[in-house]
Amino acid sequence: MKALPVVVAALVAVTVIRLALRGRGRGRSSPISLLVARLRGRRLLGDTGLVAGREIRERLRSLVFRVVTVILFAVVAAAVVIPAIHSGTTKSQRVAVVASSASLEAELHDLAKSVGLSVEFVNVPDRSQARAALSAGQLNMVVDGAGEILVKNPISASDTSAGARYVRAVSVTLGAQRAFAQAGLTPEQAATVANAKPLPVESIQPGKKARTAAAATALLGVILIFIVLTQYLTWTLMGVMEEKASRVVEVLLATVRPTQLLAGKVIGIGAVALAQAVALVAFALVLAKAVGSSLVHGAAPLVVAATLVWLILGYAFYSWLYAAAGSLAERQDQVQSLALPLSAPLIFGYIVSLTGVSSGNASLLVKVLAYLPPTAPFAMPTLVGFGEATWWQFMLSVVVSLVCTVVMAIVASRIYGTAVLQTGGRVRLRELVPTLTK
Amino acid sequence: MAGVLELDGLSRQYGAVTALDKLSFCVPSGQVVGFLGPNGAGKTTTMRAIFGLTDLDAGSVRWNGAPVGPAQRRRFGYMPEERGLYPNMLVAEQVEYLGRLHGMDAAAAAAATRRWLERLEVADRATSKVEALSHGNQQRVQLAAALVHDPGVLVLDEPLAGLDPTGIDVIGEVLVEQAHTGRCVLFSSHQLDLVEDLCESVAIIDHGRLVASGSVDELAATGARRLTVRVEGDRQGTWARAIPGVKVSEADGGEVRLVLDDSTSSDVVLDAARAAGRVTQFLFQRRRLSEVFREAVSR
Repeated sequence: MKALPVVVAALVAVTVIRLALRGRGRGRSSPISLLVARLRGRRLLGDTGLVAGREIRERLRSLVFRVVTVILFAVVAAAVVIPAIHSGTTKSQRVAVVASSASLEAELHDLAKSVGLSVEFVNVPDRSQARAALSAGQLNMVVDGAGEILVKNPISASDTSAGARYVRAVSVTLGAQRAFAQAGLTPEQAATVANAKPLPVESIQPGKKARTAAAATALLGVILIFIVLTQYLTWTLMGVMEEKASRVVEVLLATVRPTQLLAGKVIGIGAVALAQAVALVAFALVLAKAVGSSLVHGAAPLVVAATLVWLILGYAFYSWLYAAAGSLAERQDQVQSLALPLSAPLIFGYIVSLTGVSSGNASLLVKVLAYLPPTAPFAMPTLVGFGEATWWQFMLSVVVSLVCTVVMAIVASRIYGTAVLQTGGRVRLRELVPTLTK
Repeated sequence: MAGVLELDGLSRQYGAVTALDKLSFCVPSGQVVGFLGPNGAGKTTTMRAIFGLTDLDAGSVRWNGAPVGPAQRRRFGYMPEERGLYPNMLVAEQVEYLGRLHGMDAAAAAAATRRWLERLEVADRATSKVEALSHGNQQRVQLAAALVHDPGVLVLDEPLAGLDPTGIDVIGEVLVEQAHTGRCVLFSSHQLDLVEDLCESVAIIDHGRLVASGSVDELAATGARRLTVRVEGDRQGTWARAIPGVKVSEADGGEVRLVLDDSTSSDVVLDAARAAGRVTQFLFQRRRLSEVFREAVSR
């Protein structure tokens, strides 16, 4: 069972690498080239669809895309599998009881549950055979009703594994019970003493909330959104810039309208981004299920859905901006001065949300940022992770983001239409003022 | 396929610079029209205006009488001055893609791509990336991209620049063939000898204005009279330099090329030549296109 997730992850990684390498040789029969051939036959959305189709084909074919995909899958596999392996070393304890009684077995069962283990009782005819089974590694512990506990290896005081804690708990509890019996307590009195609960300790400052499974999922979601957005927005920017630099945009705009070209690019790259994100999430969910990770428990599926929704909305909002910025430049060095102001809101939203998730509290800042389209893609899934967003708050933020995206698309199309044909140095924003006020 | 591309009163001002100044001329189908002018005369701006890539302050472009819009431009083929292809895309896919953007279906675009790559002798590079090709081959691919959708109008900015003689022959043949099958073909070039060979007519512009246009034959036959004279023992044409109204345009190894004013009689030249020595050649000549060009733009 321990090896299963590793095997699954390895299989996926090998498959992805094989796909990537096969495509490099331009083999006509690879699944990617079959997909390419199929996409080529379609003419959805007219010219916009053709442009989008080209973007999808070129992305799927690029080595950078394949390498990044392989790395992302590996990272997701590690993020899901490693914590699960750590948390659940041995789920079940094999225990043999000599001179057993029903109440003793019930006691052992309850104690196992209290340290997060289950217990499996093994029948042994006598003590010597129990010892033999223990030394052969078939048992974790032998409990003698007469008052003895056997384990194979000594348990050090610093061992905090569930198995060690179980042995200690059994030893303490059974010892106490024997003491109660020797003190002559009635079973009722013994039960009262045994069930003694510590007095609650209350602090006057609110403490950190324990991180729930949903918040942990939100953390992964926010990181995923950041990685995917950064990656694909950069591609949008560079893609537009390269079309301008290579002057192919002149040939294209001689027959296609600027808005169609821009929309095709945004949709094409966005489709690849979404497909990659969905594949990663699906992979993470299947893997989490297989290894029994907490990522799929409780409100986590809701957070997964919110993550995907905001990935789309975030990309839709920013892609226009990045495409318009790409149309201002025709060389890499001209992009540098644009990159920082563009990525600042992204990084800000990401850091604030990440800090919020790690601190265990949704700060007021996160709650505000959840309604601003540039930061909402990070802040809103964080709120969902904390269970602090009602459905109408979520929808409100979605609507605000959609409206702003439409405005952004209109402004970006105008900037793009003018700037992408303007060559000779970076286009200054003030040169575009007449275009925007037209 | 017949038609005419009309440029009517095109004007474009960039700040203080007049790029186009009421420029008008026609590109009739069936002939190759050379588009000439010094650097910065407005050729590229004109070509971009045909494709709506430059906003015009005034004027219009018409094809067969109808204003040119996006629908008409789908039937046009364009080869811009600074070549425009995706460096990372495969040659055949690129040409096919541009064919599809001009409205072809996938099968037709693939077939036309194969045909044109073969015709332009780059079929063996169909599955190479564009950036892996030599300059000349990239130029051929660019022409294939302009031709793939069987356009009614071909506008080519410097299609012959930087090509080797074989490349010039192949592309030149295609242009002539396209014109003769009824397309409007307009191309700009600074290689005037090539233009003279390939074109039936030319439009010459300077400072955004049309300064000369018409058939190459007509333009050659008009203008100042030209004589080539050979006088035994003379290499520099010094005998002719003193004649009033006569300019020595070239003196090349004994053959002296002269340009005569309207008022100057050729008899005067013949007398002066005889006086200098035995005359072995005395010929009236047509203007060369390069001479037509220089005279037109120096006005």
